[in-house]
Amino acid sequence: MPAKHRWHMGRMQISAVIAILAALHLVVLFAGFVSPYDPTVQNRELPYAPPTHLHFFAGDGFHLHPFVYAPTIGDDGYREDRSRAYPLRLFVHGDPYTFLGLFQTKIHLFGVDDDAKFFLLGTDAFGRDEFSRLLWGGQISIAAGLTATAITLFIGSIVGLFAGYFGGWIDETLMGLSELFLSLPWLYFLLGARAFLPLHLSPARTFLLLACVMGLIGWARPARIVRGIVLSSRTRNYVAAARGFGASSSYILRRHILPDTSSALLTQAALLVPRYIAAEVALSFFGLGVNEPLPSWGNMMSALQQYSVLVSYGWMLAPAAALVVTSVTYHMLADSLHSRLESRQA
Amino acid sequence: MTYLLRRLTRALFLLFGVSALCFLFMDMAPGNFFDEMRLNPQISPDTIARLRAQYGLDQPLPIRYEHWISSALRGDLGYSIAYNVPAGPLVWTRARNTLLLTLTAATLTWIVSIPLALWSAGSRGRFLDRAIALLTSIPIAVPEIVIAIALLAIAVRWRLAPVSGMITAPLQNLSAFETLRDLSAHLTLPVLVLVLCESAIIVRHLRASAVEVLSAPYIRAARGLGIGPGRLLFRHVLPAAANPAVSLFGFSIAGLLSGSLLVEVIFGWPGLGLLILDATLSRDLFVVMAGIIFSALFMLTGNLIADILLMGFDPRIRTEAAHAS
Amino acid sequence: MKVSTRLSLFVCLLAHLSFAGASFSGAPVPEIPGRNEELQQLPDVTGHYGGYLTIGQRAEPKTLNPVTESDAVSREVIERLNADLIEINRSTQETEPALAKSWKTSADGRTFTLQLRKGIRFSDGHPFDVDDVLFSFSVYMDEAIDSPQRDLLIIDGKPMTVTKLDAYTVRFTLPRPYAAAERLFDGFSILPKHLLEKPYKDGTFAQTWSLNTPASQIAGLGPFRLKQSIPGQQIVLERNPYYWKIDRDHHRLPYLDAIVFVAAGSEDAQVLRFEAGETDLITRLSSENYNLLAKEKSRAGSQLVDLGPSLECNFLVFNLNDLSDRHLDETARKQSWFREVQFRQAVNAAVDREGIVRLVYGSRGTPLWGNVGPGNKYWVNQQIPHPKRSLDNARQLLKSAGFSWNPSGQLLDKSGQPVTFTLITSSSNAQRMKMATLLQDDLSHLGMQVHVVPLELRALIDRVFHSFDYDAAIMGLGGGDADPNSEMTVWMSNGTSHLWNLGEKQPATAWEREIDQLMQQQMITLDYAQRKQLYDRVQQLISENVPFVFLAAPNVLAGADSRVGNFHPALLDSYTLWNADELFIRNGGTENAGVR
Repeated sequence: MPAKHRWHMGRMQISAVIAILAALHLVVLFAGFVSPYDPTVQNRELPYAPPTHLHFFAGDGFHLHPFVYAPTIGDDGYREDRSRAYPLRLFVHGDPYTFLGLFQTKIHLFGVDDDAKFFLLGTDAFGRDEFSRLLWGGQISIAAGLTATAITLFIGSIVGLFAGYFGGWIDETLMGLSELFLSLPWLYFLLGARAFLPLHLSPARTFLLLACVMGLIGWARPARIVRGIVLSSRTRNYVAAARGFGASSSYILRRHILPDTSSALLTQAALLVPRYIAAEVALSFFGLGVNEPLPSWGNMMSALQQYSVLVSYGWMLAPAAALVVTSVTYHMLADSLHSRLESRQA
Repeated sequence: MTYLLRRLTRALFLLFGVSALCFLFMDMAPGNFFDEMRLNPQISPDTIARLRAQYGLDQPLPIRYEHWISSALRGDLGYSIAYNVPAGPLVWTRARNTLLLTLTAATLTWIVSIPLALWSAGSRGRFLDRAIALLTSIPIAVPEIVIAIALLAIAVRWRLAPVSGMITAPLQNLSAFETLRDLSAHLTLPVLVLVLCESAIIVRHLRASAVEVLSAPYIRAARGLGIGPGRLLFRHVLPAAANPAVSLFGFSIAGLLSGSLLVEVIFGWPGLGLLILDATLSRDLFVVMAGIIFSALFMLTGNLIADILLMGFDPRIRTEAAHAS
Repeated sequence: MKVSTRLSLFVCLLAHLSFAGASFSGAPVPEIPGRNEELQQLPDVTGHYGGYLTIGQRAEPKTLNPVTESDAVSREVIERLNADLIEINRSTQETEPALAKSWKTSADGRTFTLQLRKGIRFSDGHPFDVDDVLFSFSVYMDEAIDSPQRDLLIIDGKPMTVTKLDAYTVRFTLPRPYAAAERLFDGFSILPKHLLEKPYKDGTFAQTWSLNTPASQIAGLGPFRLKQSIPGQQIVLERNPYYWKIDRDHHRLPYLDAIVFVAAGSEDAQVLRFEAGETDLITRLSSENYNLLAKEKSRAGSQLVDLGPSLECNFLVFNLNDLSDRHLDETARKQSWFREVQFRQAVNAAVDREGIVRLVYGSRGTPLWGNVGPGNKYWVNQQIPHPKRSLDNARQLLKSAGFSWNPSGQLLDKSGQPVTFTLITSSSNAQRMKMATLLQDDLSHLGMQVHVVPLELRALIDRVFHSFDYDAAIMGLGGGDADPNSEMTVWMSNGTSHLWNLGEKQPATAWEREIDQLMQQQMITLDYAQRKQLYDRVQQLISENVPFVFLAAPNVLAGADSRVGNFHPALLDSYTLWNADELFIRNGGTENAGVR
């Protein structure tokens, strides 16, 4: 295929991917508005309720305006109470929330009248709406995952660049340090950290803690990968030429060597973000994660560790599915960026 | 030679440093092995205190570290408080089980990943490439624990493979062939999970760097000269694109002992990860130390191999290193 | 026994063995009962020989040494290899003769004279007599060995004395009368002096009978003996051919050729293995897994049993410790709320116990208002009130204690500070984590802000028992014996498990002083009816003053493959294997099976 066409396809592909990502992030950002319920409100009579079906057909034919039935529990599980239909409304009044942290409001994008419930993705063990929890949880999970990845890659690339470029004892020390980091028993460190920190941390502090802990522990691997690439790219002809022209080390690092590492960094980023989001499950075991009742994709996925939940309540897979969708979209973005970079280099 | 010697000294320093820091971390973590007995109203704290003294747990940190170092240098890595057997042999028997799992998985991973990555790079932009890109996204995006449990659920439903453990109970007198067959059956699921997760990462990295190499002029020249795609990919592209993959190969070796923890927990594989996790949570100090030393050894070996391979694959690094030293 | 009867018995035995199901190769044949053996007959037990069972365990056993063991997994294996002088029948919860065929108690309850069975042998054929008993108890009481079980033999700081009267009679003397003292003997496995005396004298006792010990060096009086142990994977026990119990037809127990213990991992892994048919028994299921197994078609015919409420209790405890010389000012400030009995009673009234039972235990549980639940049928006080949840009552109680609410609904204390505290619980216990979330929501209706913090188990223990750096915690108790004496250290104000106020020199309140007196009294009262009265009053005081806010107890859920005969799970440890000597494999596998 001619290079010109490939570049156009790449452009379309990038726009599509960016659009999906933007939509995803907007929905998560406006979680309070888009979600019909408060994520911490429990409906104890409706634990593990399956997703509510939207109906368009009733006894008297097709309705343009969709409606739902109220869920009830029978002897053999959940049924729909067909005695009354509740139409789906837009811009309803529901649980209060703070819009973007600015002001209090009660308006939600969609919902149904109070006697019924519209659980788009069912409920969890306490009857809390999974869809609302998914959106609110996405806020802290995506933010923490991205921040932690940024921290890791920042430290990792700097260490790798210095180690690979300058070589000698700098390389030895930095790589020795990375090996130390890789062998330490971080579980004990986490236990100790939990003991020193105050028992209760505000959500903001929790977020910072999560991002920093994950970010600081994981820099060793990207550093090694970057160092490997820098080792080979510093021997390239154009680097020698640039040095011959009197370029400083920082210029060479910035203009010539760093771009060589970009593909590896992008791949690492794509791989670290979902891993960090999922790592929160392990952190909650030590009490360092997002605590009840606040949702995060990590602590929602800890329910999936039970086989019975996985098998009987499929809608609980929502956070894993959301994580997959987010990661795959980020991967596609990374791929598109990468192909643009290659076509620029060619 | 001097290079190896330097690495060896570095390794020794590292082992000392790691062991000292481990002791420090373990002291920072609250609680000790015998704390769980506190939950039993019928055991008095006096008994617990005496047990602690019996195992030397109430002595100050430097003294304990000094004891450990002096006996470790003689080859004795201490005693497991839980099992009351020497920690070293205990850790080694489990390490063997883990190695069986991870070596099988690593071999299969690399056999599968290299061709897959190169073909994907070779047919870049076309359907095969996109399909592989999507397929490799999924194991990376889905948390390993969900993959493992999902495979487990499928295997149980359709009775595809044994769901846990290393051998079928009880140990009757099976012939060698039957034992091997039984072992392979039990290896299937955990190896599958490991291979899926690892190969996705390697394929992505290798493909990314292979794609870069493919656009280089000398590759186009080679293609112009009539060299077939297979030979092109494996003999010309692979060595040039190998850089990130070599680091990953180093990680494969480094992680032989430490990378399979989740799989061991879910599939009940009696390996090192499970033992160390249990020992960490129950504060069985010497077992944890022994495990860390073993894992550190593997990690150092892996990095060393990776560095040697880097020099091997890229002659420019070799000459630079020679110039520098 | 006449020769002809013996011969016919032998022929029957052979016949049974040959018709047995998957027979275990090389299983030892039970010895024909001899004339000079004093065996215990179980007149209601019948079955046939052959087959083996596979049991899944949460982790692998750590040791086979009965003196040093401290975890339930090891105990499950050890108890199949050993026997005690007097055993508690898990089904009836009463004591039964075991190695001691009878005993006499002195009038003051301080002396027990036990008659041992004659002619019995250990699993390696060596004869058993009183010297083994003396040796065993000297090891258990040895201070240098520090057995976790030692404290049971120390009453009021003085150890029991053990005296040999003749080759088959032994006397135990207690420093003072102790109610239901014969229950103490259950759990003290009798050790073989001929194998263990030497290591004991050499000082290497703690290293004996580890998982690496060859089977020939281990012998016991239990129904099974060790055949092989593969560390990390499985432990194989085979029939003890010299076991001292016989069934209704004078056949020597156990019926099973072997038991295999496999380390199956978490509860979910165990359920999977059970479902796949790889294991035969499963115990302590959660209700979700129980319902899952009940629905699974492939396990139709499995015997799944819901035994009703267990002896466990889960509760919320507030930190009432004396914090005067620790720098925990924040917590000390909050203690002014916790010390108000009306505050605790308000929390008690606001807890949604019915919700806990439904959402945490899937309705297979019982709400609790006191420390003894309905599962403990001998000791539960039926008169304790079981009030329904009432937020109005709770608010009334808080108001009368001087609390108030601000316009946004937050609860404020007397000085106008908002009431907020942290609630810690063990992150490895999923049920308690759920209870914490439910409690957090319940108390938010009262305007209290509760922060739930899961902690790793030992970190939790450190805070609750050592540093006292916590506000409130959800903990559990019980699962031991049904008798109140097993919880002395919890309710005595100077007790070492007196969680809410550890290290009290004097009882801090009048009701704690009363409980001290009552518990001391019941410990030395030998008559059950009198003890029950005393203990009833203790339960009443506890439920009125709420040192613990009791939440709920799970039911004991157990399951067995349809081929397992004589499956009678019980409420006490070890739930399914306590009668391992009676279990047998049915041929055909579907007779008399069903889900109860």
